[in-house]
Amino acid sequence: MKNIIVTGASRGVGFNITETLVKEYYHVIAINRNVSDALKDLQIKFPDSLTIIPYDLADTENIHSKIFKEEITYDKSIHGLINNAAMAYDDIITNINFKRLEGMYKVNVFSPMILTKYAIRHMLLHKVAGSIIHISSISAHTGYKGLSMYASTKGALESFSKNTAREWGEVGIRSNCIVPGFMETEMSSGLNSQQKDRIYKRTSLKKPTFIESVSKTVSFLLSDDAFSITGQNIHVDSGTI
Amino acid sequence: MEKKLLEIFNTVLTNRSKEAIKGLTPNMHLRNDIGFDSLDLAELTVRIEAEFDIDIFEDGIINTVNEVFDKLER
Repeated sequence: MKNIIVTGASRGVGFNITETLVKEYYHVIAINRNVSDALKDLQIKFPDSLTIIPYDLADTENIHSKIFKEEITYDKSIHGLINNAAMAYDDIITNINFKRLEGMYKVNVFSPMILTKYAIRHMLLHKVAGSIIHISSISAHTGYKGLSMYASTKGALESFSKNTAREWGEVGIRSNCIVPGFMETEMSSGLNSQQKDRIYKRTSLKKPTFIESVSKTVSFLLSDDAFSITGQNIHVDSGTI
Repeated sequence: MEKKLLEIFNTVLTNRSKEAIKGLTPNMHLRNDIGFDSLDLAELTVRIEAEFDIDIFEDGIINTVNEVFDKLER
């Protein structure tokens, strides 16, 4: 059974990705700050396919000791890393609060980088040509008022992914980003229906991005069918123009 | 320790289709004498860490076999 790390697996896209992967016979190592009832139920249904590690990714410095050394250990190989966890700190630029900005960068950028570091190390140790997938955001490509700080974290991830692909392709390790459009998740729940309609009108399909479509793209990028795909940003965004 | 290290060095070399070495001497340079490139050195670090629980590159680049010994004997 292939071991896949998924961050932010308790709800929204992360939960859907986790559910999709356990049904496809992967073993998911779910890293979450809080463990939702839905995730607990999923573990009851698939006890051999899901390991839950409660961990707050705002704590970048202890990722190695707490997640990799104590929980995963050197004995277990890692075949994939899905960097999905993210927080949104939205405001206009003239209101930037440095502490909140720094907190978001820890969760959205620094921890994904450190997780990638140790996932690649595990892949080298076990000679695994693994797949790394970062969940980015359409906001990194199409500007939205109030999202500049959040979008910048996703832009950073996309650059990191492109360079990861170049650096580690020689040993078969792939790195890609999925760029979802706006989805109906808790993260976008702060928007009113008028704001949402305005966003959806900017898409070719005139619809929100379906979470299932993102999860199935994750599954494809993990699989051997995606063997020749690396260094790419795959837009799953209802055709955002 | 030296015997285990030699085994690890040769695992990394042969994994990358490079010629194994017969022994380790302190003044050997990891790149120039042994022939490791940056990706080999990454794999070397991981394998040494899995065996000895020490990340030899944690504080920066090291260049010689002697520096590896130093890190492990600390």
